Amino acid sequence: MKIGVFIPELLRHLFKKPATVDYPFQKLEVPRDFRGSPYLRPELCIVCRACERDCPAEAIEITATNEAEKRFRMVIHNDRCIHCAQCVDSCPTDAMQMDTKFEISDYDRHNLKMEWEYVRAVVKPKSEPKTS
Amino acid sequence: MKFQIPIGPQHPALKEPISLRMTVEGEIIRDADLRLGYNHRGLEKLAEQKTWIQNIYLTERICGICSHSHTTCYVQGVEKLMEIEPPKRGQYIRYLVSELERIHSHLLWLGVAGHEAGFDSFFMYTWRDREIVMDILEIISGNRVHYGINTIGGVRRDLDEQQVKHILDSLAILRQRSEYYQHLGTNEPSFVARLAGVGYLSREDAIALCAVGPTVRASGVPMDVRKDDPYGIYDEVPFEVCTAETCDVLGRTVVRIKELFQCYNIIEYLLKNLPTGPVAVRAPRRAKPNEVVSRYEAPRGENIHYIKSNGTDKPERLKVRAPTLGNYAATIKMLKNGFIADVPLIFAAIDPCICCAERAVALVDARSGQEKIISMNALKQLSRQVAAGNARKREAEWPL
Repeated sequence: MKIGVFIPELLRHLFKKPATVDYPFQKLEVPRDFRGSPYLRPELCIVCRACERDCPAEAIEITATNEAEKRFRMVIHNDRCIHCAQCVDSCPTDAMQMDTKFEISDYDRHNLKMEWEYVRAVVKPKSEPKTS
Repeated sequence: MKFQIPIGPQHPALKEPISLRMTVEGEIIRDADLRLGYNHRGLEKLAEQKTWIQNIYLTERICGICSHSHTTCYVQGVEKLMEIEPPKRGQYIRYLVSELERIHSHLLWLGVAGHEAGFDSFFMYTWRDREIVMDILEIISGNRVHYGINTIGGVRRDLDEQQVKHILDSLAILRQRSEYYQHLGTNEPSFVARLAGVGYLSREDAIALCAVGPTVRASGVPMDVRKDDPYGIYDEVPFEVCTAETCDVLGRTVVRIKELFQCYNIIEYLLKNLPTGPVAVRAPRRAKPNEVVSRYEAPRGENIHYIKSNGTDKPERLKVRAPTLGNYAATIKMLKNGFIADVPLIFAAIDPCICCAERAVALVDARSGQEKIISMNALKQLSRQVAAGNARKREAEWPL
């Protein structure tokens, strides 16, 4: 047992690069499966509402704008989103995807809202939507 | 001469709001009292309004450090209710993430212990090394804190060869660093002297007060849910339960460092024996009426979830017993006859997570010390009774 066992380690680190990166100028790369914000590919959406039902934060809202023309509007409230990517897992046609952005803060929460208006797609789901 | 000193709910020594009241004689604590309820969030009630799948993400948010512990505990219970068995590969990945989480929690705790003992460079280095395991978790699951890897019937993400190689390479670095910290512990006399003899909890007291996790193991009781009541794959994984005999904060540090090495061994075993096949099975949306108790060894100790289903797609009741709650009684015992200066160290040694532990509100009668849990309706009635009986207040005027 001796005093100052940690000192050699401390001195060694004087000559090492910092463990952190110089953030706003240098950014770390996010991993391949990073969970950023969800977005919709409207050409694939069959309006099964699986994402709306499974979203734990109630951040997805689908409303019909014109029943006859089968037009729908989807709003993703990114201010409520908890970035769990459950919507991506629930989607039977891969219409929901996650991006890799991480600098998504804003001064106003309403700016975070994303909207799509589209005609319901006719795509064969790769698996049945999870219904009861 | 006796004084009462309050520490908290807001205090620099405490990371989360909790109120400690200590009766002191000079520098020595003669009696201590904990007051809880500053961080109650109503999570259990919220869980009753959400579906089985939505609740995975809710239970994940009970705690930031042991987020995977709570989801795994919940998901294990729900899988029992739904009578499904996750595939072997899914289970291996699930418990791989749990062991990675144990490493990150223990490294975090080591840093906090160093900080509370006044050894801040130790704190910086352990937290830097913790980044390695956080990066592994981010690569596996896509996020650093809330991994969201569990789903009912398995896990959501698969591992590929490249990831397995990355984890094994990073583990070699972590193992080397942990060996250095172990060497440091045995050789740095000032650090050891600060921790030894602080917060003594005898073996008998640890058992009588139902302490859990590293706190009870540091008192020489080999209690670990992974060995005592093996869940998941722990009956086929070789590992040892780490204990220490010193019954103090030093013992709790030793247990955690020993557990780090056990975690590395478990992870290596899991990765080398990773079975092939699917990672998840399809889960039904509803569960038959039944009830289940799920146990899980979180980094801090035994975590218990009680789940009751009523045939719908929502739970009827979800009760969470976080490990910190099991350790509160033992903490009071540890604080008694110690010094005021040791309070942050003793308190940090149980690795408290206040927001994990805050569940129901109990009313305590200050005069008689009687405790009762009161329902919302009874509380409303009580408030009406008091308002009706209070004539003087009815004449009160609005001051503006």
